[in-house]
Amino acid sequence: MRTGPQDGKSGLARHAKSRALRAEAMWPILALPLFAALLVPTEAIAQGVASANAQPVRAREPSGLPWRAQFTDVATEAGLDLEFTYGGAETKRYIVESNGSGVAFLDYDGDANLDAFLVNGSRLEGFGEGKAPTNRLYRNIGDGRFEDVTDQTGLDRSGWGSAVCAGDFDNSGTLDLFVAYWGPDALYRNNGDGTFEEIAGRAGVSGEDLQWSAGCTFVDIDRDGLLDLLVTQYQQFDLETAPPPGKTSNCEWKGMPVYCGPRGLPFGNVTLYRNLGDGQFQDVSESSGVRDVREYYAFTAVAADFDGNGWQDIYIACDSTPSILFLNNGDGTFTDFATETGVAFNEHGFEQGGMGVGVGDFDGDGWLDIVKTNFADDYPNLYRSNDGLFFEDICVRAGLASNPQYVGWGVDLVDLDNDGWQDIFQANGHVYPELDSQDQVQETYRQSNLVYRNLGGEHFEDVTALSGDGLGQARSSRGAAFGDYDDDGDVDVLVMNMGAPVTLLRNSLDGGGSWIRLTLRGTESNRSAIGALVSIEASSLKQTRAVLSQSSYVSHNDLRVHFGLGESDGVDRIVVRWPGGVEETFPGVAGGQDWLVVEGSGEAAALP
Amino acid sequence: MTLTPMARVGAVLAVCLGLAAMGLRAEPGSAEELADRGLALAQSGDERGAADLWQQALAVAPDYFPALFNLGYMHFSAGRFKDAEPYLKRASKADPRDFNGHYLLGVAAQRQGKGDEALRAWRQALDLQPDQYQLMQIMAVEYGKGRYHREAAELATRALRLRPDLEDLYYLAIHACREAGNLPEGLRIAEEAVRRFPSSARANFELAWHLQKEGRFGGSLPLLEKAIALDPTYEEPHFFYGDWLVKQAKYDESLGPLGKAIAIRPDYMPARIAIARALMGLKRWSEALDALQEAVSVEPRHPQPHLMLSQVYFRLGDRERARREKETSLRLRRENPSFLEAVQSRPFRD
Repeated sequence: MRTGPQDGKSGLARHAKSRALRAEAMWPILALPLFAALLVPTEAIAQGVASANAQPVRAREPSGLPWRAQFTDVATEAGLDLEFTYGGAETKRYIVESNGSGVAFLDYDGDANLDAFLVNGSRLEGFGEGKAPTNRLYRNIGDGRFEDVTDQTGLDRSGWGSAVCAGDFDNSGTLDLFVAYWGPDALYRNNGDGTFEEIAGRAGVSGEDLQWSAGCTFVDIDRDGLLDLLVTQYQQFDLETAPPPGKTSNCEWKGMPVYCGPRGLPFGNVTLYRNLGDGQFQDVSESSGVRDVREYYAFTAVAADFDGNGWQDIYIACDSTPSILFLNNGDGTFTDFATETGVAFNEHGFEQGGMGVGVGDFDGDGWLDIVKTNFADDYPNLYRSNDGLFFEDICVRAGLASNPQYVGWGVDLVDLDNDGWQDIFQANGHVYPELDSQDQVQETYRQSNLVYRNLGGEHFEDVTALSGDGLGQARSSRGAAFGDYDDDGDVDVLVMNMGAPVTLLRNSLDGGGSWIRLTLRGTESNRSAIGALVSIEASSLKQTRAVLSQSSYVSHNDLRVHFGLGESDGVDRIVVRWPGGVEETFPGVAGGQDWLVVEGSGEAAALP
Repeated sequence: MTLTPMARVGAVLAVCLGLAAMGLRAEPGSAEELADRGLALAQSGDERGAADLWQQALAVAPDYFPALFNLGYMHFSAGRFKDAEPYLKRASKADPRDFNGHYLLGVAAQRQGKGDEALRAWRQALDLQPDQYQLMQIMAVEYGKGRYHREAAELATRALRLRPDLEDLYYLAIHACREAGNLPEGLRIAEEAVRRFPSSARANFELAWHLQKEGRFGGSLPLLEKAIALDPTYEEPHFFYGDWLVKQAKYDESLGPLGKAIAIRPDYMPARIAIARALMGLKRWSEALDALQEAVSVEPRHPQPHLMLSQVYFRLGDRERARREKETSLRLRRENPSFLEAVQSRPFRD
């Protein structure tokens, strides 16, 4: 009975006896014009450059070049016996259980051996009396092994630790530590006798109870030779008000109920403390302008002179919000120019789940570039600096878009094979342990870490599979610190793993190039030379690195600046731009050893 | 729908009369009789009278399908989808075996922006006619709008299996697979599309796009060139060729194809953004400024040109304008999030 406009009949129904006819006959009449209308949007959609989920971009054909850096996890034999505690092992109810913590390579006792400091977490259900895990400090006893000296150093605090940064804030000649927490933060002054004193409250840098500090860096903001302190807060987090898993649309991952956040939870902020030089710090967050930025979930903070004007700037990786680049105005104030300089978003203008930051000069042009790790289904960023004021995200072109399945955390631009080009190490691990007990989503909580080799400053090649069995481990890693703990001339890696033992990846570089390592000491500038920019020239190759208080993911690297030299057996000259703003050139030195570079000395001195 | 119910009554009237002559006249005062009289009035152009009679029929028999359906259909045909919906909903319950009741109910819901309700109704319709590939098409589109990408892909590929001779179904399936993150399946379908329709610019382009997504740029370029040769007025191959050149930092070479894409489709924002990026890469700041300002005039709601303008002004030393453009970009980002959907690292969206 129901037929169509073609034959002039109505679509109206008559009675039950004609229903069978209606169903068959009406379809084409109604359907075609409706289809036409409905299909228009689809046909009109041009395929943009971005899809809903970043897909792996197939890597180039392998270079076939030998890769000599080989990593083995030697944590147990080296005496690093901490198994990290960080929230629930099989499930996590709140975001505070998921982000993990940083680690540090530092020489706390000045014996020229690189020690290891590991920031630990907690559990929501708590622990029995005296059972709570604490941060651990391991002293390097010089033969490739460490001893746990936590209890005698005064660093045995428990709680939800997150970040660590180091610097000699009192210019005493020994490295002090700042440890960020969900809860009051800790500032450990190094007493110079193998012990530390916690003085955050007295110094005015302990923060607030519900403040979840997630990143920190010592930085001399005003070139007065004293290290100031910047602390990032990820969130204001309160268990009393935090929604339970699955509560809202912010509490799902691909259909699976998970903990909530960060979206929907209160934003954190950034706090800047000025060092008054008498053991006290003054909160200058408002007057310095760092509180002008709002609505960010801030993580790792890296201080360096990005724009080359002699003043320390600060880049902050932010989660689910645009990242921040505070350029130093030279008058005690900062302005966020991340958007203007091109480091707030990815190349398509999307905000990302930023976690870790590595800073270096991967293309040898003397400008500091930035590599930033992000959440899963996304690529990392490789922001190449053109002139310090204009960055381009060249991640895809550079070959770093082949592994978007990973949640990236710790990262650095670091020459792992001493060929003179800074490679990339990236620590990975998802945030939802529930992923390992389901098969709906093709993702895992425990993930492999990655190594990319720098091919001449243009392109990176994934050499993870060639990097030894230490890279074959699947864990949920977070912080990573870089340094040569065994003094064999190559860079090793210390990695924090959620609910798992620490990883110490010993690099047994087989047949790599030569190297030099520079220990910088400020005189007019802060003594630990944090913020110094060091360039070397070896043959035709120029390399630049910065001395950083924090980088990777909320971690602290060896302050000694390591350069691979490739075929060169030394460097032609060393140029240091000290954090006080003065540039100083030092004559060339031989490779294969450590050098002490003192501000104003005019000449590098060989270290034993 | 181009014809009103009233305009389509003549022929049906004849059919009704014929049926009456066949002895199908109903008892006076029965729902059936009232509905038939309503139909006759509708066919004579008296919509109000018809509606009254159908309401009377419903007073006698509240679940009488023809009255419910016709009332719904009358409103539907006049574009009164909200009024149509309750009648169509009741009609679908009164006769759940009626395909059209479910189908029209779904359309009425969809036209009111109630995608999930539309899909519920259409799923019931599809259960009744499981090979109805056209319904699968509209369902795939609607699933996609609701971000049920996996379901969209399943239906689109199912429709394609039923009608592999229809070229458009390949593109619907490719689109759905892409949104579902199933690029390997999209690639397979694109390869099949090129095999079946080798002289189709779209098919060649879709395959090129998938190869690019896999990082197989070398393989994609001949396909893009072929697509351009087959249809020089098709803007997407020009854009993706130019965008590939931008990604390779071959900024100078990219200007040509990107310019063509924009000439063909002036509102093609990805191309406008890419050409500005190329000009920025070439440090031709004032030309980049012009390109971005033109992009803003074409689509003032898009945050990305403002973001890039802030970068250009900053590079030119005009920090105040840079700041203003940044703020505009951030505001537009909040106001028009759909312009910047994708590559979200975290699923947490307010």
